Amino acid sequence: MDADISRVVVVGGGIAGVSTVAALRAGGFDGDLTLVDTGEFPYDRPPLSKEYLAGRRDLKQIALRTPQWYDQQDVRLVNLTAVTALRPAEGAVELAGGRLLPADRVVLATGGGAARPPIPGSDGERVHVLREAEDADRLRTVLVPGARLLVVGAGLIGAEVASTAVDLGCEVVLADPVNPPLAAAVGIDLAAWLHGQHAARGIAVVPAGVESFEPTAAGIAARFSSGHEPRVFDAAVLGVGMVPQTALAVAAGLETERGIVVDTCQVTSNPAVLAVGDSARTRRDGLLLPRTEHWEAAQQDAARAAATLLGRPAPPATAPWFWTDRHGRHVEAVGRMAEADQVVIRGSFDDPAFSVFGLRAGLVVAAAAVDDPTAVRAARRMIDRRVRIDPARLEDPSVNLRALLR
Amino acid sequence: MSNGIRVAALEDIPEGEGIVIDKSVTGTADDIALLRDTDGSVWALDDTCTHEDASLAEGWVEDGYVECPLHASRFCLKSGEVQNLPATRSTCPHRVEVRDGEVYLFPNETP
Repeated sequence: MDADISRVVVVGGGIAGVSTVAALRAGGFDGDLTLVDTGEFPYDRPPLSKEYLAGRRDLKQIALRTPQWYDQQDVRLVNLTAVTALRPAEGAVELAGGRLLPADRVVLATGGGAARPPIPGSDGERVHVLREAEDADRLRTVLVPGARLLVVGAGLIGAEVASTAVDLGCEVVLADPVNPPLAAAVGIDLAAWLHGQHAARGIAVVPAGVESFEPTAAGIAARFSSGHEPRVFDAAVLGVGMVPQTALAVAAGLETERGIVVDTCQVTSNPAVLAVGDSARTRRDGLLLPRTEHWEAAQQDAARAAATLLGRPAPPATAPWFWTDRHGRHVEAVGRMAEADQVVIRGSFDDPAFSVFGLRAGLVVAAAAVDDPTAVRAARRMIDRRVRIDPARLEDPSVNLRALLR
Repeated sequence: MSNGIRVAALEDIPEGEGIVIDKSVTGTADDIALLRDTDGSVWALDDTCTHEDASLAEGWVEDGYVECPLHASRFCLKSGEVQNLPATRSTCPHRVEVRDGEVYLFPNETP
């Protein structure tokens, strides 16, 4: 370990920040370690559109770590506190109220805020977003049986909210001009199948964007693009992406470009500052990569940042992986389906479970599955180990995928 | 000390996979996942993931760990210790013995 790094401050208590402090301790960092977060305690965000939104879990049940864990790991959790400025030249960060916290290295895990596109009327109180637990608390109060809900955006968050709202008895309209969403992530056929699940659950799918909102006597009227009839709702949720939180980085003079620009070791343009998770954007070989706004990617960033601070080689990257749970189905995807030149379907879209494998030049490069996580876990290992697989065996459901790896 | 409950033939559990033993057989609070590692050894853990409702017996077993089929938290086969999020709590291990190709389970005994 670099001997002059004895105090590390991590800013932000999402999965990226918590994983960073965990990875530092797991890697043997024995210096002063502080995690600053604006919330009461760090919690996991995926349940905010599902179990937490449905009221089946409370905030304590989705805590990322137990309260004891911070003591056991000797991590100082400074909660309910915002970092207001980075002072790398002084070796410190400034907290709300002006207190300076000494830091030899700072790791920014500031995450993202919900995107709020400039749709006229979208600042009204009936228009929601979903990013923090407080957003979910507010949204839950309107998800009562019979409530008319408009979900804008049918990506991961929008689709999950729509599913939860239907479970709770709401009348749901789901609007997205992209048809189907997620095609780049899971392939066009599976994307269309997933999008079709909404109508099967009684959700009205409108293939359009929203041009404006206007308050009415008893709700909010949404005007759609492409000539679709305007409709009145009790509430609307915007699920149209996130905006990386770069304000601290910008104020500190760090390079940002729709994200805090980092190298492949997670180091920003200031060597004393690293960035991880949704707010970070990697430049590799001179090229800015798209941000990877996923739960596991944030942990991989954290592992790399910890390795950098510990002076060790970065752990090997694994194929990107995500899951989504909606309409009673568990969906997983791994790799980069857009790179595939051959698609192999295992099972039938008419009869889940099934999975889809993407191959390129005979190697598996991606997979996605409905209610068949084993297929994706197998695919992940095929991708990472560059195992050559016979497509005819891949598509035969009687062939054990584990056996193909041996 | 009992002789354990005979719960399966070793050949019933493919390497890298698991089977569920119902709690009516084991007398435990949860069903028990009987998991066969890639080195052929057999281990037993409480079957339900400590995160959400998923059966670890349907998970991916490899190199000393089982990966939950739902959100990929991994648990140590020997100790039940949770290795990664989203699960935050470890699961309970149970002792297993293999004799003459038969698998015997000792519920609530430490491996």
